[in-house]
Amino acid sequence: MVGAAVQRQRAGRFVAMREGYGFLLPWFAGFFGLTLGPALFSLYLSFTKYDLVSDPRWIGMANYVRIATADAKFSQAMHVTFTYVFLAVPLKLAFALSIAMILNKGLRGLPIYRALFYLPSLLGGSVAIAILWREVFSADGLFNQVLAVFGIKGIGWVTTPETALYTLVLLTIWQFGSSMIIFLAGLRQIPQDMYEAASIDGASPRRQFFKITLPLLTPVIFFNAIVQTIDAFKAFTPSFIISEGTGGPVNSTLFYTLYLFQEAFAYFRMGYASALAWVLVMIIGSFTAVSFFMSRYWVHYDE
Amino acid sequence: MSERAEERLPGVQYSRWSGIRKHTMLCCVSLVMLYPLLWMVSSSMKPENEIFTSASLFPSHFDLSAYKRGWFGLDVSFGRFFLNSLIVSVLSVIGNVMSCSLAAFAFARLRFPGRHLWFSLMLGTLMLPYHVVLIPQYILFLNLDWIDTFLPLVVPKFLACDAFFIFLMVQFFRGIPRELDEAARIDGCSAWRIYWKIMLPLSTPVLATAAIFSFIFTWDDFFAPLIYLGDPTHYTSQVALRSFIDSTNQSDWGGLFAMSSLAVIPVFVFFVFFQRLLIEGIATTGMKR
Repeated sequence: MVGAAVQRQRAGRFVAMREGYGFLLPWFAGFFGLTLGPALFSLYLSFTKYDLVSDPRWIGMANYVRIATADAKFSQAMHVTFTYVFLAVPLKLAFALSIAMILNKGLRGLPIYRALFYLPSLLGGSVAIAILWREVFSADGLFNQVLAVFGIKGIGWVTTPETALYTLVLLTIWQFGSSMIIFLAGLRQIPQDMYEAASIDGASPRRQFFKITLPLLTPVIFFNAIVQTIDAFKAFTPSFIISEGTGGPVNSTLFYTLYLFQEAFAYFRMGYASALAWVLVMIIGSFTAVSFFMSRYWVHYDE
Repeated sequence: MSERAEERLPGVQYSRWSGIRKHTMLCCVSLVMLYPLLWMVSSSMKPENEIFTSASLFPSHFDLSAYKRGWFGLDVSFGRFFLNSLIVSVLSVIGNVMSCSLAAFAFARLRFPGRHLWFSLMLGTLMLPYHVVLIPQYILFLNLDWIDTFLPLVVPKFLACDAFFIFLMVQFFRGIPRELDEAARIDGCSAWRIYWKIMLPLSTPVLATAAIFSFIFTWDDFFAPLIYLGDPTHYTSQVALRSFIDSTNQSDWGGLFAMSSLAVIPVFVFFVFFQRLLIEGIATTGMKR
């Protein structure tokens, strides 16, 4: 009796194994063949010199040492990327939150505004939009034509090293729609009776914003900030299109991923590019870790 | 909560004027935001000499010749590029929906040893930047002789490499009552039948969301086609647009705007017809686009 039950249980477990792993088969193939395997291999490559033609040659930490001490272009790429991330993300989120606040205050036509504001965010990732942006901010582009109406003579914003990066920051802010949608969903979660109680106690709208809305929205702000920042670190298409793949003018739009792309596919320094990729992982990883650590001090969770 | 109830919030001074002021402001913001898009479309219909001389959206007369010039502006026609984009995008949609729903079903519904380990590894891949696997993948596809074919763009989609979609579907599957599959189990249904006959039919909203986003992401993808496609007859529309700006340099802006406008149409169509689904998808999962 007992033996039969155990046997049945064993058979059941076998079936469960077969089913579970059967359904995961495609994922396993992808995970081991295209994710874990390649990740480990690129870690190995990052300690080598490899040009796709001759065999990888082990050079120890040399790639990382060069990145840390002797690569001016890397420093430039870091400078550009960090400037971009720390300008574009906060401005985008601030803008998204302001518009969400206005829309949330019971305005007629909310679905229409929401859709219109979302459109750039949906279209924004494409090459077509990056091209459009280049032409909007070119010397005789739309932006300068509008300035000309006010009698101002503009410059070639994308061809001037001092301003090129800021046009990309603007392009990112322009795509605030999806963050705004997430903020709107978060605002809906705030219980209305809190505002009722506060206004009975005579709290001004301004005070209500800082004492109710903002604290209760911190988890959503935190989430948006993390997602958008990681995404901004990985931005590629706009800088590639605006600078025609060079990161110019004078490396002023040399995003990190563009530099990595150049090292790998223009100069075929696969080992060095792999090291750059792992440095990117470390940057994003430590940024995320620090953010989660800091979040204890400002993110307000209900539970 | 009804729309009406939402319109009056306590703590806010409502007056007709504040409403009008807000609408005016929002309309201005919308106009500034959408103007570049409208300008792109209108520039594609302007006579060439008007594009960079007038900020107006209205051409002095409609001139559609730019579409013809742009279409044949490269050695290979844009018809080929759009067809390539369509093939890659449709195959990616099929691959993603099939492979990700299989994995998501296993994670959400099946109990088997090691489930938690694999699930956390899957979540881990969500965080891993693509750039880390890029170079070994390139070397792998190079050795398989897949460079300059669509295989490097499509095969990963059939192997559930977009963990985000697995995550999206797991969340949805977990919301479907377990009693349904338990009842089916008692009736002797296999896991496959439960997946095929119960889960998938009940999950059309999430499958549609995944399919649409998968289409849009693939259609707009620039990095992978840029790396893997060398022969212009294999270019997707995004890579073709890029070589358009390289080859024409200063000459045919009308053609460039015309082809750019055409390239955003598929995404725009999804926006028009499935806006609700897209917005819900973002609101519930926090997608970045």
